[in-house]
Amino acid sequence: MHEALLTLGFGLVAAAILSLSALAFTLEYSVTNVANLSHGEILTVGAYCAYLVQQHGGGVILSGLAAAAGGGLLALAVHNGVVDRFVRRGIGGLPTFIATLGVSLVIQNVLVIIFGASNLGYAVPQGAPRTVGPFLWTDTEIQIMVSTVVITALLYVIIVHTRFGKSLRAVSQNRSLARVSGINANRVAALTWLLAGLIGGYAGFILAESVGTFSPYSGFSFFLITLTAAVAGGLGRAVGTLVGGVIVGIALEFFGGYVSASYNLAFAFAILSLVILVRPRGLFVGGRRSVFE
Amino acid sequence: MIDYLVTVLTEGSIFAIMALGLNIVWGWSGDFDIAFYGYVALGAYMTLVLTVGPATDPTTYILGLTLPFPLAVALAVVSAMVLALIVGAIALRHLRGIYFSIVTLGAVYVLYVVTGQFVPLFNGYNGVSGLFDPMGDVLGLDYSSYSFFYLGLCIAVLIIVLLLTTRLNGSRFGLALRSLREDERAAAAFGRDIYVTKLKAYVLGAGLGGLGGALYAGYLTAFNPSAWSPVETIILYAAILVGGRGSTRGVVLGVAVMVMGLQEATRYLPEIANQPSFAPALRLIITGVVLVLFIRFRPQGILPERRFRDKDPAGKGDAAAVEPVVTGPKLDTGAA
Repeated sequence: MHEALLTLGFGLVAAAILSLSALAFTLEYSVTNVANLSHGEILTVGAYCAYLVQQHGGGVILSGLAAAAGGGLLALAVHNGVVDRFVRRGIGGLPTFIATLGVSLVIQNVLVIIFGASNLGYAVPQGAPRTVGPFLWTDTEIQIMVSTVVITALLYVIIVHTRFGKSLRAVSQNRSLARVSGINANRVAALTWLLAGLIGGYAGFILAESVGTFSPYSGFSFFLITLTAAVAGGLGRAVGTLVGGVIVGIALEFFGGYVSASYNLAFAFAILSLVILVRPRGLFVGGRRSVFE
Repeated sequence: MIDYLVTVLTEGSIFAIMALGLNIVWGWSGDFDIAFYGYVALGAYMTLVLTVGPATDPTTYILGLTLPFPLAVALAVVSAMVLALIVGAIALRHLRGIYFSIVTLGAVYVLYVVTGQFVPLFNGYNGVSGLFDPMGDVLGLDYSSYSFFYLGLCIAVLIIVLLLTTRLNGSRFGLALRSLREDERAAAAFGRDIYVTKLKAYVLGAGLGGLGGALYAGYLTAFNPSAWSPVETIILYAAILVGGRGSTRGVVLGVAVMVMGLQEATRYLPEIANQPSFAPALRLIITGVVLVLFIRFRPQGILPERRFRDKDPAGKGDAAAVEPVVTGPKLDTGAA
């Protein structure tokens, strides 16, 4: 029982990182209807920005901000440079999806050329593990979870209670209708991607903090798990995605703790395939299934 | 110089075989299959474990037979097709567009992780090796003439594959596939069994992928997870897209440009500050950029798929003249 609670504790840390990454992905999807395959690179770039700041003597807060800024700028660039042009020309979801795979390849290899392909260490003093109720967490892990809760709460306020959030919801429901209602849909989409990039970049930073190392490819591997969480929660739905992230994060930690950590990715995809096949609209939405999805 | 040319041409023909297989799945059937390189890898692995003999102590892998090379290749193709049948049967049943792609991405990553981690299967990250000059001793070839023989073999196989795909292209099956790609509902209304037709194409494409993989194994003499990664598929996609999606000639041209051309253009790049990963990384960057630009500006590729004309425009039997049903590929088929 005690061991299970400990695993649950680690699972919550993993779930926090995963939820942020999946939230960012789902935000990108919601306004453009494009599954962004270069989402993982937002995390990677965030991690590299944090690393650079840390190398120049910046503290944890500064590193986190740099990661968010790097991720935000990258997401904005991908949106304005590629995705938006494709969406505006009416090039459909699948070709744009393929194009974002190309973008992902480009970013990964630019990072390989600049920083090399090998793992970089991201060492932060983790602090002594402390007992919080039944769980055992280090200071860094507490920082990860607290910041995730704060960011999620902020995001909720933005989406539900601000004018921008209202336009965001309108664009995600029906872009053309939003446009004829006087909403500048392209601007809203760009800002949403910027917001998603800020969150994604920060997620890359806490991922690097928690794993301790990263490489140009780590964002892409983590994206594969992100995809599981986002699809399980229902693509484009923020609350579902959050719950999906928590469930998948905890499930993976238990699988890793009790079965085998090396097959984590395979296990994540087993969940993903199962969800897509049985409830393609996500676990928490009315499960109508369509062939032409 | 001549050795160098032989190397380039051998690799080119092998990649052309793979690309022609993928073209059946993506070009004709319209499914963006990310698992494709998994079938290539399985073909390569199976060829190795069927020919190199039992594993010696530190290494472990399944089978370890010493079958003749052509038989091993045939069995490797069959195993790739069986795997594709399983994946395709699940993924094609209800899924199209990005959901199909995501499930195939999942399938190939599972395969990648398992081949890397599960050592008893294909010796984990160290991979399987030791296939030197298959058929060389039987035919009594020495080292220098062997590379010519293998080039000839690859080109011969490529020509057979080309003949096969050209024939399939105009066959009822080929036309049926493209009618599905253009409009699934309409094709279903005309009595096509969408699932079975798509699954056939998927398995056939994977078979050609396995064949390419088998020949690649014979060429490389060894195979391990660092020799392939799921992203490799995107190079084949870039080749198909540049050449002309759905067009057989186009795919061959695309492989010449995007695989052989790009490889050779960057081969002699001055290595920047002893960074061995510079040239491959640059190749992938160029591939990514080309992919994005072609999807945006020329989705039909350099040599677009030929539009099929109605062979009976006057409609001898029917009253009305029929417009050609099959047109060049639209990229956006079955999008979510």
